[in-house]
Amino acid sequence: MTFTEKQTDPTAPTHWRGNMQADYLYPNGVAGDKFFKHLKNNDNFLATVCPDCEKIFFPPRLYCEDCFVEIPGENWIEVPATGTVRLFTTATINAHGKKMETSKTIGLIDIDKTDGAMLGIIKSSEMDKDLLGLKVKAILRPREQREGTIKDILYFEEI
Amino acid sequence: MKKDVAVIGGGMTIFRRRLKETGKELSFLAAKMAMEDAGIQKDDIDMIVMGTAPDAFDGIHMKGENLLDGAAGAGKPYVRVFNGGGTGVFAPIAGWWHVASGVADVCLVVAEEKMGSCYPHPQTAFQHIWDPVLDRPLHPNLVWLFAMEMNRYMTVHGIKKEDIARVAVKNKRNAVGHPCAQLADPNITVDDVLNSEMMAWPVQRLDISPPSDGAAALLFCSEDVVRQYTDDPVWVGGVGWNIDSTMWTNRDLYFPRYVAHAAKMAYKMAGIVNPRKEIDFAEPYDPFDYKELHHMEGLLLCDKGEAPILTREGVTQRDGDMPICPSGGLLGVGNPIAATMGQKVCELYWQLAGKAGKRQIPTNPRVGVGQAWGDIMQMATVMVLKR
Ligand SMILES: [Zn+2]
Repeated sequence: MTFTEKQTDPTAPTHWRGNMQADYLYPNGVAGDKFFKHLKNNDNFLATVCPDCEKIFFPPRLYCEDCFVEIPGENWIEVPATGTVRLFTTATINAHGKKMETSKTIGLIDIDKTDGAMLGIIKSSEMDKDLLGLKVKAILRPREQREGTIKDILYFEEI
Repeated sequence: MKKDVAVIGGGMTIFRRRLKETGKELSFLAAKMAMEDAGIQKDDIDMIVMGTAPDAFDGIHMKGENLLDGAAGAGKPYVRVFNGGGTGVFAPIAGWWHVASGVADVCLVVAEEKMGSCYPHPQTAFQHIWDPVLDRPLHPNLVWLFAMEMNRYMTVHGIKKEDIARVAVKNKRNAVGHPCAQLADPNITVDDVLNSEMMAWPVQRLDISPPSDGAAALLFCSEDVVRQYTDDPVWVGGVGWNIDSTMWTNRDLYFPRYVAHAAKMAYKMAGIVNPRKEIDFAEPYDPFDYKELHHMEGLLLCDKGEAPILTREGVTQRDGDMPICPSGGLLGVGNPIAATMGQKVCELYWQLAGKAGKRQIPTNPRVGVGQAWGDIMQMATVMVLKR
């Protein structure tokens, strides 16, 4: 059997127009709850240290995926909200293929004093330059506006 | 050369409508319990199977990949299996074949579900399983469908609603001994069930198990290495699975023939000729009270229409001749779809290993069968464990 008919109008074949309704309330989890509550009231981050391999998890986690052990409460530490740009790119086209009004630079930031990293928006005075290895700090929302979510971290800025 | 496969460890988190833990954290907690039960480390595990039902519950597309580091799967051969409501017994079947095939000596199976993330209610996710052109435009929900099936079952055999309600009472009472239980009730009566809110006749509120969050885990091990872990193993006797089409409209719903096909496959492998005599207890899937009865008949543990009579006579009580759902089942412990592996297969292991605590069947059982069921009245998965 071969298909000979080319469809140029997707609504031409008889059809029913549907949608998939789906709304969510995602819990932060045991580790996430502690991390975000801290972020709401502090200007630094929390991380967890594996009791076996001493790997420092950022964002903090309840368990070490390598040693497969639970990380106890006493292994939570405070770390600075600073880091180093490990990877970055500057986007000029959005997900729908349209030119963006202003470009957006995002990167992977290695967080200081941890073995972890996070995705963040990067702002620098010289956006054309190579940002690899750039030292940055997290710019947080004013404390009274924080909600205890990842959006409390507005962007990372060159130190 | 097929290997004999033993179960050497089990774990299960509490089941609740909404848990604070992420799916990864729930997976970790269940997996860790199973590993501690067996006395095993991550390095000793060759392969991992994750069982978790539709992505739409947790709200994470390809959630098997999301959950894997919580299931000891990071850097290991890992696969997610999923067939809707059948997953709770299909995941351990997949664990069994990883070992039976000789590919793995030790396989960890983790089953996770987080239905609480789908907000306000996971019924919205269930709405997407219907045919998009024929059914969904009418906005059906699953309670309506099962109400029609329950009605058909009652009509064909002349079953009274009170004889079905006895199942909910038995299971919610059995769950009193379960540390993970969400809906245990030592004082519930048949009248409580019959007086509960009517949802879609004949289905009432207490005829149904609730949506839940939770996780469970099992460790399967080859005959070649089992003596390193235990002197008294529980063995997988047989496995079976079978699925019918979505055209439920074209079959008589009074009897789940796909369950019988799956059961026959498992019994043949286990060398079971007369299931009523050779099987000591069962964990048929009980998301609704009538489904336990339906599935007892599908599992060939009694004649068609006989399950409500056995229930009325007390045969299916924990101290009866054929204990059914000694765990408390989905009706008493909760229904986090895939994680019901905790009642349907972990419970078989705990009963046969003498680790069921307050739920222990007093008559020293040697053979148990667990079963799950799902989709649009299509899927059956069956596992026999024996000592
Ligand atoms: Zn570690």
